[in-house]
Parts: sequence; C-alpha cells; structure tokens
Amino acid sequence: MKHLKPLNKKAGLLDQAVEQGKTDEVYLMDTVAGCSTTLDPGWEVDPFGGVAALCQPMEADLYGCSDPCWWPAQVADTLNTYPDWNQDADSAQRDWRKLQSVFPKGS
Amino acid sequence: MHRRNPSILPTLPVICVLLLGLLPAGPGAVQAQGADAASILNSRCAACHERTADGGLSRVEDMRKTPEGWDMAIVRMTIMHGVRIPAEERAVLVKHLADTQGLAPEETRDWRYILERRPNALDKAPDDDLATLCGRCHSFARVALQRRDAEEWRKLAHFHLGQFPTAEYQAMGRDRNWWEIVSTSVPDKLGKLYPLRTAAWTKWLDQDAADLSGRWRVAGRRPGKGAYHGIAAITASGEDRYRVALDLTYADGGTASGSGNAIVYTGYEWRARLNLDGESVLQVFTLSEDGRELSGRWFLEDLDSVGGNLRAVRMGPAATILAVEPAYLRGGTFGRIAIHGVGLDGEVDLGEGVEVTSTVSRSSETVVVEARATAGARPGARGVRVGGADAGGLFTVYSRIDSVRVEPDEAIARVGGAGGPLAAVPAQFEAVAYMNGSDGAAGTDDDQRIGVMPATWSVDDFNETAAAMKDSQYAGRIDMKGLFLPAAAGPNPERPFATNNAGDLAVKAVVNDAGRKIEGAGHLIVTVQRWNDPPIR
Repeated sequence: MKHLKPLNKKAGLLDQAVEQGKTDEVYLMDTVAGCSTTLDPGWEVDPFGGVAALCQPMEADLYGCSDPCWWPAQVADTLNTYPDWNQDADSAQRDWRKLQSVFPKGS
Repeated sequence: MHRRNPSILPTLPVICVLLLGLLPAGPGAVQAQGADAASILNSRCAACHERTADGGLSRVEDMRKTPEGWDMAIVRMTIMHGVRIPAEERAVLVKHLADTQGLAPEETRDWRYILERRPNALDKAPDDDLATLCGRCHSFARVALQRRDAEEWRKLAHFHLGQFPTAEYQAMGRDRNWWEIVSTSVPDKLGKLYPLRTAAWTKWLDQDAADLSGRWRVAGRRPGKGAYHGIAAITASGEDRYRVALDLTYADGGTASGSGNAIVYTGYEWRARLNLDGESVLQVFTLSEDGRELSGRWFLEDLDSVGGNLRAVRMGPAATILAVEPAYLRGGTFGRIAIHGVGLDGEVDLGEGVEVTSTVSRSSETVVVEARATAGARPGARGVRVGGADAGGLFTVYSRIDSVRVEPDEAIARVGGAGGPLAAVPAQFEAVAYMNGSDGAAGTDDDQRIGVMPATWSVDDFNETAAAMKDSQYAGRIDMKGLFLPAAAGPNPERPFATNNAGDLAVKAVVNDAGRKIEGAGHLIVTVQRWNDPPIR
C-alpha cells in the first residue's frame, strides 16, 4: 500500500483498517448476499459455542435473515410467513424498535 | 376418558351448514359465544380440510398434539391461511382437540421441559440425524410432542419445503441430499418413533376424569428467592375448569398470594393463569395418574425464564412429606429444621446421626424442630420420617463443602428493552454445594449434592475473544441473588462494529464454608432477541 494513496473517504477507511491490522474483519463483512446466507454463522450461538462469530450487530443483517427465510424459527420470515413484518421499518439498524414478536398470545 | 368422545362427527344442523358450501371463515362467519367445538371446526376449518369417510377432517384427524401444539397449529392457520378465529373459539378448539387427540402422560414425560419453558434444558434427539435435521432450528421436544403416521410426517416435510424453502440451502442442509432424506427416511423413522395410534393413548382415553376440587398442600423452590410452601384452594368453575387461590410462604418469611383460573386438558395437563402479588403467572403442571399430585413449573407470563418448581398433594388422610427446609445440616452443628407436608402426625426422625432436641411448633402441615447433627455423623442424604410419612433424599448431613457448582452450568440470556417491544431475558443461577464421593475427587459422578447455598456472584469474560471484546463490561450484570440482567438491545456504538451487547461470559459463585471460600463457575451466552417466540420453541 506504500505506493497507493486513498482518493476518497471509503478508501481512506480501508487504508486505516490495514494499518490497524483489521484487514480480516473488512474481508469478513465484504459479502454479497448478506452475512447470514453467505457465512451461516447461527442465530444465537456461533459454530464455536460463543457469540463472537455471529453477524454483529444483528441489526446489520437482520433483513438478510428475514428476507431469505434464514433462522425462521427465531426470526420472522418475510419470504412467506410474515411478509409485512418490517414494512414500517426500512432500516433495521435504525428502526429495530418497531419490530414485533410474531406469535399472538392466547387469551 | 369416557366423556372425551374422539368423534368429531357433525350434528344435523351442522351438516346443513356444510352443505351450504363450507363457509369460508370471515367476519360474517363469526360464531356466537359458546359455540361448540364441532360447529367451530365446521365453520372455521372445514372450508379447507375435507371431510373424511369417517366424518373427521383431513389432516386434523391425522395427528395428536399437546394443548400448546394445537394452539400453535391454529395460530399457524390464521397466519398462513388467513383463517379468522376469535380468541374464545380458539380456546374451545384447543380444549376439544387436546382432549380428543392429545398425548398420554407417558408420551409427554421425557419432553415436559419444553412445555414448562424451562430455561437451559438439554434437548436431546434420539439420534444425530434427527438432531441435525429437526433440532438445529427448534427443540427436538417440539417434534417428539406430536404423533403422526409416516405419511403425515412426510406432509410436514413438504410443508417445511414450501414454507421455508431455503432450509435446504442452510448449514447442515446443503451438505447432504436434504430433500431425499427429509421426505423419505426421516418421516419413516418419525412414524415409527411417534405414531398416531398407540396403546398408551388408547388406554388413556378410558381413564376416568379426576375432580381436582379441594385443598392442596404445595411446596417448591423459586431459584433466586428460595424454597416456599403453602396451600392451594381449588374450586370447580365448569367442566375441567377451576378457580385457584394460592398462599405461599417463603423460607425467608416472605409471602406471596393470589388467585386465578385453571383448565385441565387431556385429563392431566393443568394450565393456569394467576395474579400472584401483582405479577401474572402461568402454571404448567401435570396431574399424576392417581389424581393425587400436581407437579411442574410456574413462571412469569412475560418473562418465562423466571419462575419456580412446584409439587402439590391433596390434603387428606394420606400422610406425605413434601419438603425439608433447610435441606442440609453441617455435622457438629445445631439447626432449626422445618418439615412441610400433609398429615404430619407423630415422631420426627431426621435419620442417623441427627438428634431432634426439641419441637418448636407443629401442625399436620408443618413441623419445626431443633436438631443437632453429631460431629461424626455419616455425611450424605437421609430419609426423613414423621409418624407414618417418610421421604428419602430430602435432607443431607455434610462435613464440609468440597466443591460448588453453578446451576445451570450452561445458560442463555438475551438482550432486550431499550425502547423495543421485546424485554430482556434474564438468566437465574444458583450455587449448589457438593461433597466429594468415594473417589475423593470433585466434579465426578459420585459427588454428593448438599444443596443451594448463598453465594457472592460475579461475571467475567469466558475466553480471550470475549476479553478482547470486553463482553463482561457490556453484556449485563449479575445481582447477589444470582440473577443475570442482560444489557440493552440494539447496536452499541461504543463497541467494535457497533456490535450488540451480546457476550460470552463465565458466571462465578463464591460460597463461604466456615471461612473457606469455594468457587464454582458456569457458562453464560448473552445473545440477541428472538422475534418468533411460540409456547413450544
């Protein structure tokens, strides 16, 4: 990277990440179809029995779970079952407080 | 049960309704209050479910489920197929279906933890295939609490493919010929393990229904608050329906009281909702086959990880010891011991090496004595006797605490609140003291349990990764009752990647044993919310 100069803000952030040794993390998040569908890390617990390898913050890829029906036992799937679940919450990171639990309580 | 007629043959007026075109459910088809199950099945279900040759409804008659299982099936029809059903009709249907197509007590015995919503239960499928193919998304108990023949299990596989099509492409699906497996060998296996028709269910249908009216002596333990005992007054309010009044006294002298309504499904599945000192509490109990004992778990309706165990016996001529509190005494010391039960008349015997020195108070429900364990008393559990009543394993004499275990040793909590609709899910721990067994080593199978002890609680990062993320700083805090309270939900801009307040924590309890500090540790995962939270997870 010695002979390359970042020209915009994003490139600057990448440069910083390299300097701080965070290159792997940048690559990890660089996924096309969503973190969950690409990496399948688990919803509650990661394959290593912890939480560090989960998609975090969860809200960053919540709709990457609900849209393709990933973890439908825990997350409302908007593919088939709850198509309107997030209709008033365009950004999960901003609007997560609007998202409701989907099972209707009994009387 | 004689009065549980499994037939759902429609009555004559209902047949007329059917002939009028199997009315689709909708506002115009709302039943009058008090509609019976047969007419609700006709008005709400028969539009899609065909009549079978024997007068039942296709699919519906081909399975048996718990009350919660039937409720989830009805809810699924409302969500996925637009069926509109008022809450009172939903309740009537659940009662009818659980009574006529439920599970026998022995069919639910191994899986009650999921009905009782016990936090941190170990869910174990019969084999690795079933654990992977069913238990990777929901508990295997959810599967094991249903009864279908192979063809009907196969339809469930088709339902999963249609409703959740990406299941095939997810981890532990895409690494095998998923569809072939889940549509052939798995339904065949489930049809053998959990078939529709069983001798147990046929026999249970002939069981006479029990009348639960009367006074019941109760005892139990609410982790974090301690042991309790009390009285439940149960009065009939309709067929299989009861009013319940509950008065409890905790070992620390605190009290709790309240009342509510209960319903008995399938002749033994007790479900009640009580207002207990301002908190809405649900009870999930099972009635013993002799109708003398209720047992199970109760929990806060809005926070089901918080609750307690309960055991109740009918108050009557039969003498029973329910609980001894405290449940242990150190050798060479005096203690005041309370014995709770029914019909406690006669001499008190706390077992070898324990001398009852005086009786502090007594009634037929509680006897309080002063007792002394001799210095050389053999460490271990003892039988306790009051007159003709005896119970084993309720009282232990110990010489010293050799180890402390945090129970549960693996637990889960969830972030929540922070203005969102889902409350945080706490985790409750207890510190349990043990003596070494004959091998002299701690942590082995022959360790002898002494009981729950007061402890000093803390949390720490579970491993280096957690330490690097400072999980213990962000994920929540634990109080001195062993209750872990998770931190707020939502992205946290203070953390790397604005990650959630999730964490991988070690939970530590330090018990003071006459000046010696003995530490135990458990493992706690603090994770994110679940947005789909049915009664059977």
